[in-house]
Parts: sequence; C-alpha cells; structure tokens
Amino acid sequence: MFAYVAHHMRFRTFLATFAAAALLPSFCFAQSSPEQLPIRAANRILEQGTWGPTPTPPTILQEKGLQAWFVEQVRAPISTYLDQPLLGADGKNNNNLQPVQVAFFQNALNGPDQLRQRVAFALSEIWVVSETGGVNYAAAFPPLFNIFQNDAFTNYEQIMRDVTLNPAMGRFLNMVNNDKADPARGTSANENYGREIMQLFTLGLTQLNMDGSPVLDGTGKPVPTYTPNTVTAVSEAFTGWTYPPQPGTVTRGHNPLNYIGAMVPVQANHDTSAKDLFPGFTLPANQSAEQDLDGAIHALFMQPSLPPFISKQLIQHLTTSNPSPAYIQRVASVFANNGSGVRGDMQSVIYAILSDPEARAGDNPWLSPSPGYGHMSEPVLFILNLLRGLGGAVSSTSTVANAAGSLGQQLFYAPSVFSFFSPQYRTPDGSPAPEFQIYSTQSAASRANLVNAAIYNGRFDAGTTFNLSSYIAAASQPAALVDLINTVFFHEAMSDSTRAAINQAMSAVTAPSDKAKAALYIALTSGEYQIIH
Amino acid sequence: MFSRRGFIKIGAASVGSLALRPFGLLPALAQSGSAEYRALVCVFLFGGNDSNNMVIPFDDVNYKAYSSLRGNLVLSGADLTNPVYAATGGAPYVFHSDLSELASMFSNKDLAVVANVGSLVQPTTRAQYLGQATPLPVNLFSHSDQQVQWQTSIPAGNSPTGWAGRAADLVAGQNLSQFPTFLSVAGNSLMGTGTTTQPVALNPGQTLDLAGFNSSSASQARRAAFQNLLTLNTGVKLAQSANNIMADSIADAQALDNALSKSSPLVTQFPKTSLGAQLAQVAQIIKVRDGLGMRRQIFFCALGGFDTHTGEILAHKTLYPQLSQALAAFNNAMTELGTQNEVTTFTESDFSRTFQATSGDGSDHAWGSHHLVMGGAIRGGDIYGKFPAFQLGGPDDADTRGRWIPTISVDQYGATLCSWFGIDDSQLLNVFPNLANFGSKNLGFLG
Repeated sequence: MFAYVAHHMRFRTFLATFAAAALLPSFCFAQSSPEQLPIRAANRILEQGTWGPTPTPPTILQEKGLQAWFVEQVRAPISTYLDQPLLGADGKNNNNLQPVQVAFFQNALNGPDQLRQRVAFALSEIWVVSETGGVNYAAAFPPLFNIFQNDAFTNYEQIMRDVTLNPAMGRFLNMVNNDKADPARGTSANENYGREIMQLFTLGLTQLNMDGSPVLDGTGKPVPTYTPNTVTAVSEAFTGWTYPPQPGTVTRGHNPLNYIGAMVPVQANHDTSAKDLFPGFTLPANQSAEQDLDGAIHALFMQPSLPPFISKQLIQHLTTSNPSPAYIQRVASVFANNGSGVRGDMQSVIYAILSDPEARAGDNPWLSPSPGYGHMSEPVLFILNLLRGLGGAVSSTSTVANAAGSLGQQLFYAPSVFSFFSPQYRTPDGSPAPEFQIYSTQSAASRANLVNAAIYNGRFDAGTTFNLSSYIAAASQPAALVDLINTVFFHEAMSDSTRAAINQAMSAVTAPSDKAKAALYIALTSGEYQIIH
Repeated sequence: MFSRRGFIKIGAASVGSLALRPFGLLPALAQSGSAEYRALVCVFLFGGNDSNNMVIPFDDVNYKAYSSLRGNLVLSGADLTNPVYAATGGAPYVFHSDLSELASMFSNKDLAVVANVGSLVQPTTRAQYLGQATPLPVNLFSHSDQQVQWQTSIPAGNSPTGWAGRAADLVAGQNLSQFPTFLSVAGNSLMGTGTTTQPVALNPGQTLDLAGFNSSSASQARRAAFQNLLTLNTGVKLAQSANNIMADSIADAQALDNALSKSSPLVTQFPKTSLGAQLAQVAQIIKVRDGLGMRRQIFFCALGGFDTHTGEILAHKTLYPQLSQALAAFNNAMTELGTQNEVTTFTESDFSRTFQATSGDGSDHAWGSHHLVMGGAIRGGDIYGKFPAFQLGGPDDADTRGRWIPTISVDQYGATLCSWFGIDDSQLLNVFPNLANFGSKNLGFLG
C-alpha cells in the first residue's frame, strides 16, 4: 500500500517535470509529430527499454511516441514474485529456485511492465544478492525482487533503505545479526555491508565529477570516496539488526532465519558511539539503530559521486557501454535534481537515459551511427530477445535459466557481490564493454549453440519452446523474410554484410522452413545481433 | 551433432584481423629456450582466503600469540592434526586439519609455503604505511582491485594486460602452433590477457564445437556464410570484438578436437568438485600438449567462496577439503603423465583476512597472505619468507586488526615463477615493471 502511494506521488513529480519541459530534447518533439514513430525508432526503443521486440508491431508506441509510452510503462501493473516456502515437503531447506527463475522469465516474456522489469533487473545487478553466498533458500529471492520491482520508479534513497533492510541482503553481506564490537570476545563489527554498500551500491572507490570522470588531487591522482575509517564508521552505524520476527513471536537478540518482511532493530546490539562518516555528515553518540541507519543512508545518498556513479551504470545496462561524458552529465544532473528539487527520482532518471539525444541518435536512418555505440546483450537479455522474437513459450517446468547459465549468467547465482560482470570491464582493445567479461571462446560457442537449439530443435527443453511460424510464412518470398528478421531483430538497421550472409545461407536450401531456419541462424549468431546498438 | 568433416577451414589469409588465430601447426620458430615443456597452473582463491588459518606456526611462542588473538576463529586440538617441519631450521608449522593432503605433499617436498605475499609498490613498513610515506597500491582491501593487482602485478591498478598474458606474449613463439599459451577453465580472466596474445576459455568437460552442422551442401553453405560474416565489418565496433572472440573459438575448437581425439582418459581419479573438474581438464590438456604443439602453457583455475565475514570455521570445512583433494589429485596426475617436474602450480587470492575476528565469527578484508606452490620442480617442504609478528597494532600490522603488511610482493612471487617458466632476467622487468623496487628477484622456491 505504501509502495503504491509513494509510486503515485513520484509519478506526479515526474509529470511536474514534464510541465517544465526542460528535460525534453528538441529531437523528441520532432519525433512526436502527428506522424507516427517509424518502426525503426520504435523497435530500437523496445530493444533498450524492454526484453525485446516481437513480430507484432508496437502500435501504441508508434502512435503515441516515447513519452506517452514511458508514462504507460510506469503505470502498467507490476509483475510480482510469489513467496516460496522456507522448507520443502521433506522438512529440509528448500533451495529450489526453479519456480522463481521461471517466474522471472515468464514475467519478462509476457508482463506488461517491461521497462520496470528492465530497471529492476539492472538494480538487481547493482544490489547483488547471490545464492552462492550462503543465501541458499528459494524463499530469499521473491521478497528482494519484489522490492526491485516496486521501487524501480520510486526514489534511489528508498531503494537504498528497502534493500538494506531486506533479510536476503542482510544474510548475503552479513548485516543481519551484525553486533557491535565486543572487547571481551575480541571482536569488532564486521565490515562486509559497510564496505560494499559504498563501493558497489552507491559511490564507487573514486570520487566522480558529474560527467563520470574521476576527481583528481593536486598531483593528478584520483581522490578516494572513503577511507578505512569510513568503512569502520559506516559498518558500526549498521549494527544491531536481526531477522524480522516470525508472526506471533517477540524479537530477542538474534531472531531465527526469516526472509519475509524487513529486518528489525535490537538496540542492545547496536554501536552507540559517535560516528564520523563524511565531511558534514556525523552521527552523534547514543542514537538508536534506526536513527543511525537512516543517517548513514542519507549521508551516502547525498554524496556528490552517487549521481554519476549510479547514472552511468543504469545507462550501461539500458543503452550503451561507453556513454559520452556529456550523456553521463545530463543524466546525473537529472539524478541530482529532477527539475523540481528532488534528488534520486528514478522516473526522471530513466526517462533521461532513454530520451537523451545520444540514446536516440540511432533512430534516425540518415544519421551515421556512432561505431562505438551500444552494448552486448547479456545472456538473460539475449535469451529473452530470442523468446520474444521467436514466438517463445516458458512453462512451469521450464529450465530456461540453465540456458543463461550455460552462458555464464545463472539467474540468482552471481559468482559474488561483484555480479556477473564488472561495469569497468574492457575488451582487449580498450573499449568499455561490461558484458564481454562473460563472453569468452566458450560462451561464444555456447551462444551459437543456443540459437541452433531454438531454431533447429524448436526448444531449449520441454518447457521452453519456440514457434517460427511467422518466419516460415514469410519465407515463400526470401526478401520478405529478411525484411521481417531485419525489423524484429535489427530495428531495420541490418548491415549489408549480414544481409548478404543470410542470402548466401538461404540460397543453398529450397523449402520455406529451411530458408527461414538458415536465415534466422545466420542473423541471430551474427556479431551484429549480439550488440544492441 | 557437429561433424569434423563438415568443418570448413578459413585460412589465415581470409582473416582480416591480427587478433584472429590462424589454424594449424606452424613451422617451429627460432627457439630461444630449451625444447622441454613447462607449464604454470594458477589456482585463484576468490573472495580472499584467510590464510591465517591455512597454515600456522606451531612453536610455543607463535601458537600462544595466535590462540590469544584469534577469538572464535582459533584452531586447536582436533583442528590441527597435520604438523610439519620446515626443511630449513626445522621449525614446526601445522596445516588446517582439512588440508591433510597438502601437509603430506609438504612433507614429501612437493609443496612449499610462501609467507605474507601481497600487492606492494615497494617495500613498506608500518610507519611508512601510516604516514603515507611510500606509494601504496590503489584501493587496498577492495576485492576487485586486489584481484586485479594479483593478476596484473600493477599496483596502480590501470593495466590492460595481466602478468601471465605478458609472459605468454614472450613465450608464445616457442610453441609450435597458434593455440593460445594461456588457457582458462574458469572463464575470462585479465591475468591471461596479453598485448599480442589472447587467452582461450574452456569449461571443464565441454567443447568449443558448434552444434547443428553436417556434411550436406546446405549445411556447409550455412557454415561458410556464418564464418565469412565474422570477417566483415558491419560498422558496429563491439560486433567486431564479438566476431574476433567467435573466430578464436572456432580456431581453438578445431585444435582441441584434433588433439583430444587422439588421447585417452587419465587414470588418476579427480574429486567430483568444481576445482577437481577444472584441474582434471587442465591435466587432460597437458596430456595432449604435443598434439597441440605446446611447449609453454599457463592455466587458470578458480575456487570461490573465501569471503568469510561470518561463519568462517564452517566455510573452511567445505573449501579446504576441496582445495586439498583437488591439488593432490592434480599432483598425482602429473606423476602419471611424467610431467611432475615440468608443471608448477601456485595459488593466488584477493588478500588474506583480519587476524581479529568479527562479531559473526568471521574476518574482514586484509592484505598480505600465505600462498602454496606445488610441483616436482619446487624446493618443497619449506617456508619462504617470514610470517608476521602476531601482534595487533604490532610492527607488521597495517592498523589494529591484524591486516598484515606484505613482506613479499606479487612481483617477486610471479617473477620467481616466470624465471623458472623461461622468461629471461632481461625480460622480467617487462612482465613485472616494479620488480626493480625489491631486493630479491627470486625467492628461491624453484630450482
């Protein structure tokens, strides 16, 4: 209920921003003329802001344009995840994540809230919780992913607070039952959450200018965002929290494992010393666990590095691996102030990312595209692009998550809190390309073999099937087939090289179904298709 | 299934980029080293292994200091059933009880311990650290940065290449084929990225073969179209990067298929664990080294889960047996292949962990760490370097929680391995640019 109210409030904020119209680039108005959005532009928006185009033309987006489509996406009913039992029928820990993985892929395949899901997934790759880190319960993940879904279009400070108090995150980074130092036992508060919330979820290691460049000191060296003492102080601020009590029980010390609800404070385990966090942000002595937590989160939220640090990662997840400093600065400025004095307004930030002239330049077939633009589709996105483009279906028995797993991205099983790939990863020639960290000689072959399974076997497994009928129907006229593939998978921007290779493969077969399969294999294994650009 | 007969070769001439690997064995290039085989095998312990509980000085003074400071992480009695004695000086040490295979190899002189190794710019004392009086590695205590620094040996943290990749650049010419010198069975790693050479990644038990092709003309036409497209510029820069990796994959798949098809399985049984499967795959590739045309190889394996902020005692009870049993099986496999003196295995890890425990019975990120080196060429059964003084806030502590300042740098550790591997002294500085900052360029654990 609270989430709905907050959501509604933020939506009004967003509309107020539109009234100012300062955010909307003139290019946008040029596009939203009475004529409808060309399919090239519409499907490009869908590549960036959904789990992928389908053979059905996006008429609403074409007729109403990006801005109205965005508003509809924000309003769309929110796809959810069902809670899973803590214990299985055998009385043992239930660590079967298959139903939650299936829910994720079914939501992505069919849910109306496509953009919300893309943002939520990006958030889940920043605020990482993994089964491999002791969170070996299926019950851990639905509440966490419901937070990402519910909060995707709220405020970043709310995301910070909700995920910080989520029990799965508490268990993964050991904030749950993290007690103040005990001189008698020779222990100190553990630093895991205090360190990683700064390094990975909010600030990064190096202070950033609004355009994402590092702040340098007088000798040209990057200035760190925090010191070892900050790590200690923030860790102490987060002490004294435990699992939510089971219904009908009272909190005493360390509550038993419970993933439902938010963590609760235990004042006796909280460090009440004064804490010096950042210049201008100190926590006085004798504050409660709640006061220190709110104070620490707000201090992090107000740091000047946070807008560029988070904005750049959201850009990298949605539009391009290598945004220009100016693009980062434009989005980070909206993050810092949405035009109505609100910092961290996610609706405004996401709209700024998608509507930016740099993101939209490729819509226009007469502008030569920047060769460095775009990003590789990560495995989960690649597989969903295939499913949505190729008439895919995911049943309750599907093991579709294993397909992404074979490419190095097993959903809910990131190797560590550093996620599946680093935002800093570069190709050997120095190009920023996070997703390439898990694109190897092995996963390149595996990716082509998944395309082969989808097209030539019609399935990944009995519960994950594909239907090529619209392509086979088009294949009686090979040129029409290539046009359809070009529209659905290449937003009508397929290169002549790829078109020639498709024709080469098609020319060796005669039956329409064989032509459709040969054409799709070449198109979907091409390097050009792996890069959303 | 994929049929080799249906494979259409693309010759070197049709490949437009230098990054692509041509097929087939090349004539032997001028040999700068000897013709014998040598391989390095890295086992990276991701998360930061608390080596304070891996091997412990067992003399009265040190063990007493250890047990008074480690709180709920202290090992005693039944946890410490593997005493060993250093070959030099005879001092007693003890391995964690779940590392009994490692202790046996230590006693058999197949394994040694290198103490308190970590990323450094130059030798650093506590006073210098606290006073910021010497240049320090960037972002100490951060997982990602310290992993990168262990893999690149560049403490400034801005290296596009890894130290093993740079070493591979120098020795690749000794190999008789274009098959990559660096092979990872744990995905991409910066460690193996060179300037002129790129790694190959192969998952244990898998192949790089492309499914769905046969010898029919339709299939061959599709295969030809697929491979031609890899060489064409589509105007999207990252697409070319993806094409290069796919082209490498195709070339490496053929080389691996050719070599492995003529091989038989190893007799040595490996444990059915992640690291066991990785090392089994490495051993299988070493077995076919002649078929692959390899004289110098570097392998990369990984075991995660060492970030033990809480519940460390329990976590080590699953991690350490996996590590110990897999390394022992690999050592046996090298004996089976007769390569025990030609293959040296070593550990790396982000960092060690605080000597002082956390409230959740774990430990936090620290710095210098003890490491394992294994193989017939190792001067085993000994401790190289010096254990820190077990004193919180003492002379070896970076602060007050037992974050030991390393007394051996990653450069020295790597240079010792690379000297044995065949990198000339004159070239070591190309691989380890900061090596000149340290007195000893060879720690002596390899003959």
